[in-house]
Amino acid sequence: MRIRALVVLAAVCALLAGCGTKKGFEKKGFAYGCPIGETKVGSMEDLVESKVSREGPRTNVAVTEMRCTMSGDLLKIDANLNNDASDTRRMAYKFRWIDREGMRAAEEEAWKPILMYEKSNQLITAVAPTPRAVDFRIIFMAQD
Amino acid sequence: MCHSVRIGRLAAVTLAAGLALAGCAKDQVRYGDARGVETVTNQFGSTDLQMIAESMTRSLLQAPVVVSSNLPIVTVQEVKNKTSEYIDTRAITDSIRAELQKSGKVRFAVDAAAMEQQVEELERQQSELYDKDKAVETGRMVGAQYRLEGNITSIVKQAKDVKDVYYKFNLQMWNVRNGLLEWSDEQEIRKTTSKG
Repeated sequence: MRIRALVVLAAVCALLAGCGTKKGFEKKGFAYGCPIGETKVGSMEDLVESKVSREGPRTNVAVTEMRCTMSGDLLKIDANLNNDASDTRRMAYKFRWIDREGMRAAEEEAWKPILMYEKSNQLITAVAPTPRAVDFRIIFMAQD
Repeated sequence: MCHSVRIGRLAAVTLAAGLALAGCAKDQVRYGDARGVETVTNQFGSTDLQMIAESMTRSLLQAPVVVSSNLPIVTVQEVKNKTSEYIDTRAITDSIRAELQKSGKVRFAVDAAAMEQQVEELERQQSELYDKDKAVETGRMVGAQYRLEGNITSIVKQAKDVKDVYYKFNLQMWNVRNGLLEWSDEQEIRKTTSKG
């Protein structure tokens, strides 16, 4: 009886561990493949909040999902943008690259204008300009 | 008589006031964001140049030939301007080269445009004015393994109140030794101006 309970417990643990990996918390200091350092990230919303910042005029376009991977030794990011409004929105974004010491790893990027149709999604992809860039922030600004 | 003098005086005062106001209206000079979104006209602008340079560089850095080679040596050739407007394509390739150089993943050999100055300097150092031990030797230049070339094209359409410009920038990296195309990518930009 006790052995059966242990087997069931082990199976439940294995199942939970499997689910944990699926969530994307596969490596310490990373969430969904993105570097998070010591930041506590328990969900996609937490990750987005820790990586996205807004400058200048605010836009309602939001990042709904973000994934990171390595392309060779360069950090690669995919971010899904969503315009929930019922009209077309124009905005600009740029990535800020951060090195191991928390300093800028590269020169400030140019603002990239983007047009979002009403009720639409768009995927933006970025690759770090140098292997020194180990972390990043996405910055948004409205252009309407 | 008195009436015409009054009119003349009024005209003189108006003219003086106009001149004074013109003198006061100074041009305002302010610094701007060099990397901000520029939408003054729909001609090729700084934002277009920066976006093209950035996207081409990041794409090239992921090319198998750059990832697998140990610092490939590249030379930059011409980017042909096939648009109807004047575009300094050298500024685009210079930006791409600067970004690639900063990545530390590519080395650049002297290109055709800079060859004359390179040869001139080499020859100058061979003169009797230079210490023979410290002058550089000739015959040591390194040839490029790959060459970058490309073109920029545009389609312009104009209706009564709308002008639409579509740019397509294409960049290719060719293997100099065997003539194979190792990498190619494109960047598209659409700009629309509407009156009112």
